[in-house]
Order: sequence, then C-alpha cells, then structure tokens
Amino acid sequence: MIARLAIAALTRRRARTALTVAGVAVAAAMLLDMVMLGSGMRESFRGFIDQQGFQLRLTPRGTMPFDSEATVGGATALVATLRADPDIVRVGPVLGGKHFVAVDTGVVAGFLLGIDPAAQGDYRLEAGHDLAAADEIVVSTAWLAATGRALGDTVRVAGGYDPQLRRATGERTLRIVGQGRFQMLAASDRAAAVPLATAQAMGGADRADRVSVLLVETRGAADAEAVAARIEASEARLTALSTEAALKFVDERLGYFRQLAFILASVSLAVGFLLVTTLVTVSVNERIGEIAVMRAIGVARARIVSQIVLEGVALSLAGATLGLGLGLVTARWLNGILATFPGLPAAFDFFRFEPGAAFRALGLLVCCGIAAGVWPAWRAATLPIATTLREEAVA
Amino acid sequence: MPPAPRPLLAGLLAGVLLLPTFRPASVSAQVSTPAAPRTIAIDERLAAAAGLAVGDTVRLAATAGSPGDLVRIAAITRRGADPSEVARNEFKVRLHLDHLQSLTGSGDRVGRFAVRSRGAPSGDAAAPDRVAAAINQSAFGFRAYPASAVAVETSSTFRVVNRFHRAIGVITIVASAIFLLCITLLKVDERRRDVGALRLIGCARATVLRAIVLEATLVALIGSILGAALGWAASAIVNWYYQGVYQTPLRFTLVTPGIVGFAVALSLVLGVVSGILAGRRLVRTAPLELVGR
Repeated sequence: MIARLAIAALTRRRARTALTVAGVAVAAAMLLDMVMLGSGMRESFRGFIDQQGFQLRLTPRGTMPFDSEATVGGATALVATLRADPDIVRVGPVLGGKHFVAVDTGVVAGFLLGIDPAAQGDYRLEAGHDLAAADEIVVSTAWLAATGRALGDTVRVAGGYDPQLRRATGERTLRIVGQGRFQMLAASDRAAAVPLATAQAMGGADRADRVSVLLVETRGAADAEAVAARIEASEARLTALSTEAALKFVDERLGYFRQLAFILASVSLAVGFLLVTTLVTVSVNERIGEIAVMRAIGVARARIVSQIVLEGVALSLAGATLGLGLGLVTARWLNGILATFPGLPAAFDFFRFEPGAAFRALGLLVCCGIAAGVWPAWRAATLPIATTLREEAVA
Repeated sequence: MPPAPRPLLAGLLAGVLLLPTFRPASVSAQVSTPAAPRTIAIDERLAAAAGLAVGDTVRLAATAGSPGDLVRIAAITRRGADPSEVARNEFKVRLHLDHLQSLTGSGDRVGRFAVRSRGAPSGDAAAPDRVAAAINQSAFGFRAYPASAVAVETSSTFRVVNRFHRAIGVITIVASAIFLLCITLLKVDERRRDVGALRLIGCARATVLRAIVLEATLVALIGSILGAALGWAASAIVNWYYQGVYQTPLRFTLVTPGIVGFAVALSLVLGVVSGILAGRRLVRTAPLELVGR
C-alpha cells in the first residue's frame, strides 16, 4: 500500500520525476566513475607488480627502477649473497639500456633488458620460445613492426651508438626466438630482452657485471618489509623497494587524480542529495492538503513518513541503477582518453570496476536519498491537521 | 641521431640540460676542507629535505658509494613553472659544465646545446625553424630541434590531461543542464496557482511565459555570477594547495574572462531554455486546473 502510494505520487508528474531520475543517474555515474578512478590506478599498478611475482625491487640507492641510468656493480657477488638468504626464494637481476638496429631507412632505437630467463617478470611470451642461449633475443610486437623482422630472423643489434662517428658499438648477431608482451612498457615501445651476460657485454666495460634492478621473491612466511630493511642495512649501495612502497610512490605521482576523484565524487553525492531533497520537498509541499486528509482519516504518522521516504529511496534507486550502466560506459570513454598517456603500459587501467567499492558508493547515494526524504516527511507528518485542512484542503 | 628510448630520457635530459639530477642519497654533509671546493646550486626542495643552506659543504658523487667531490652550495634555486616536472619529486643539482663532465667521466661531451636564433626575439616566428633546418643540413652526429617541436613532444602528457578535463567538463555540463532544468521545472510548478490566477484575470499566455522566462533568466544570471565567484575562490584554493604540495610556482587553474564568459553564457542559455520549456508546459494547462478546480 505504502509502495503503491509512493509510486502514484512519483508518476503523477512524470516529466519532473524523469528529470530527477536522470539527474540522479548522471550524479551516480559520476560518483561511480570517480570511485573507479580513485581505486583503479592503484589496483591496476598493484596487478602489474603482483603478476611479476616479486615482492622486492633492489635499485641503486635513492633511485626508482629504470628512473635513471644508474646501475650497481659487482652483480654476480650481490646475486649470490641474496640467494644465500634463507628468506629469499628467487633473485632476478635486470640490466636496462638502449639498443639500436639498422634498418633500410636508418636506425631503430629501443629499450634493451638483460635478464635471467629463469627469474624474470618483465615480459610474457606470446609466440616462440624463451631465451636459452647467449645469442637469442625476445622482442616486442612494436619492435618487430619497426624493424620489419620476424621470428627466426637473425639480426645485428648494437648496445650503443656513437653520434659523432655515426657508428654502432657493442654489436652482436642475435636470433629472434620469441615475441613477448613487456608488461611495464607501453605497447608502442620497441623493447627487447637478451640474457644478462649478453646485455652486459654489449654495454662494454661500463656495464660489465652491473645491473639496474634486482627483483627479489621472498619466502611465503617472510615479511617483505623486514627483508627489505635487512638488505638496505647490509648493502649501502641499494634501495629495497617493497610492493607497498612502490604503490606509495605511484600514489604520490598520481595523487592529483585521486584528489580530483574525491572532490568530484563528493560533488556528485551532494548534487544527487540536493536533487532528491528538492523534488521530495516540492512534492510534499504540493500534497500538504492530501497528507492532512490522510492524517485526519486516521492514517498513522509513521505510514506517511514511510511513504515519503520511500519516494526518495525509489528516486535514488532508479537513478543509481541507471547510473551504474551510464557510469560504466563513461568510465570506458574516460579510460580510453587517459590510456593515451605517453609511455603507459597497454593494459594499465585508470578506471577499474571493483564491485565492492562501486556498490558501496551507490549504496551511499541511496542512503543520501533516504536522508533527503526524512526532513520533508517528518515536516509533513507533524503538520497541525485542522489548520492544514482549513488552509489547504477545504480552501 | 636516433631517438633515445624513453626509460633513459631522465638521464639524457640531465646531460642535455647540464643540470644533473642526483638523488639525495648521493649527497651527504661533510666537514669543509681548506681546499676551495667547486660551487653548486641546489633546488629548494633538496635544501629543505636535506637541511642544507648556502655555504654548506657537501660531498657530491655520480653514483652511490663512490667518493665523489667536495662541493660548496653557492645558491638555492626555486623550481621553475614547468608542467613536465610537477609530478616528478626529483631533486636538482646544478654544476659547472666542466665539473659535471669530470664528475661523470663524460670527457668533453655535452648532451645538448641551447641555441638562440637572431630572428626570434624580434618576432620572426619562422627563424628557429630556419636555423634548425640550416644546422641539420650541415650537422654531423647531432640534430637540431626548434623549441616548439620540443614543447609539442614534452607536452603530450598535458594534452591527454586536457582532453580528460574536457570530458569531465562535458559530463558536468550535462549534469548541470539536467539539474537546472529540473529546478526550474519545480520552481515553475510551484507557481501553478499564481499562474492560474494571472491567466484568470486576463493576462495573456505570452505575457505569463515572458515573465517565467525572465525569472528563470535572472535566476540563471545571479547563479552564474555566484558560480563564477565560487569558481574563482575554488581556483585560488586549488592553486594555493597544489603549489604547496608540488612546491612549484605553476598555476594549476586559471579563471580567464573567456572561461567566465562561457560559463555565464551557458548558464543563461540553459536558464532561458529551461524557463521556456517549463513555462510553455504551464501556460498550456487550463487556468482552472492550475488553481485546483
């Protein structure tokens, strides 16, 4: 009965109700998008780190992975020391640098990773097989497109380029054995991976026995933060970066988007609340006479309050439901815009749908709808019956 | 010269600008020695983070763990208003060219020459392109880029952010339009009896409609002026907050006359349209029905 009355009140002025639902839907869509934006970047980045399977990244003291050309020497001894640690399962040394490949139109430059194939998390093979010999190379799709080579081809790859003499340095003849997706690089990046020793040799004396990053997988029970602290205390040349520390760093870099998301989400909630409050208040004001009549014929105050609150809930629910679909569509659109950020990994999502967070946000909007109906409902239910009847209904 | 891969860009730029970026771990306070050390300039963020001041002597090394050189801080610099540096929490140390070359073992090498062309200051916009083309014709082992080309390359991130902001703006405008239409409709609906009475005493439909539209326009105008003032205040708060967070003089938001004009015009259009829609609906209803009979 209460539900029927609430629906009747809402359908009495269809255009007005439809507009309010549309307004709440847009507010809900914006709220959902901002919740997705707020958590999406962090979770997306966490996914990237987790899928590598390493909990720690050891870099030259004070640097972030591949944020500079800094390297650490004595890599062989360092790796051996780390592998002897009972809390460490795997150590993946990585040397980053550039490489050059001569093509008909000039020179193609790209990013070169020297890795240990048995302990690497930088790429996933899409075709071919993994590195098994010193003269093998795994490359990205963009690399193949830029050089016009194919799996199985043999190619001359240089570790350096002397601009004065226009001459390649540290050249090696390598066989393309695999095509991989480099997870931390953009799809358009021309990336290649070779065995660590090959990369070190291609870099010349400057790169001998040096690494840019050491990826470390800790034993299940070991606390990664404690292992990181222990490594930093024993090796002054290194910074040990845990997954949480890396996420904190990303949070700092992308803090702007989180703050924007928070502000816009708050504004969306406020807009949704205002819309429902306004509509319910005006609707109640129009029906003061009717409400007084209902009270006069014995309808309980609680029933009237319930009916009016139900109107607010119905508006919010309808808006939130529409907003869910609208929000997912707009999130996809906005994600498409931000995905064009230069250098961003192809699978990085700014907007990630986390059901828990999304439904909590929409639940909050519905709660706002309930709150929006409470004041006008209470006001209507506590009106003096006789006076209101005389002024509204009888007049 | 072939383009350098992106992950090494930071290192390349350090060489290019001759303003190498060393991490704070490479800088440690030391007691001054009698030999006159070379001078450096550090940015104010590094000075604040490491507790350094002009006149302090520090040890500066290209790699962690190496002995490096003792240097004296001669100046503390303020961060430039460069959008590409905003999100990068890096510290900058500026050295004399020969000092950097010796510290990093770069010999007599540089990463970049900055060239000022003769025509550009006098307003000849094509001068940099001509000079760059002339250099490239005779260049051996390097390439010249006009500043505008470098700006286009380095501003790609901000073009994406700009597109994102525009998209958010479109959604906000749609939401505002619905909100305004809804409020106007409700406000006009509230006046059903007044409008009914006006129609019953002989006011023409067109007169009533004009009155409603005028009222909606005035509400939109007052709202947009208040909104512009609110926007200006919000902009000031945003600039104050983010300039503090990122320690940069960069202005994050700008309220220009063009933006205010656009916002006011849009509000007026929305106000007029919503007033017409709501008013037409009302004046088409029979007057007796409007007064509840």
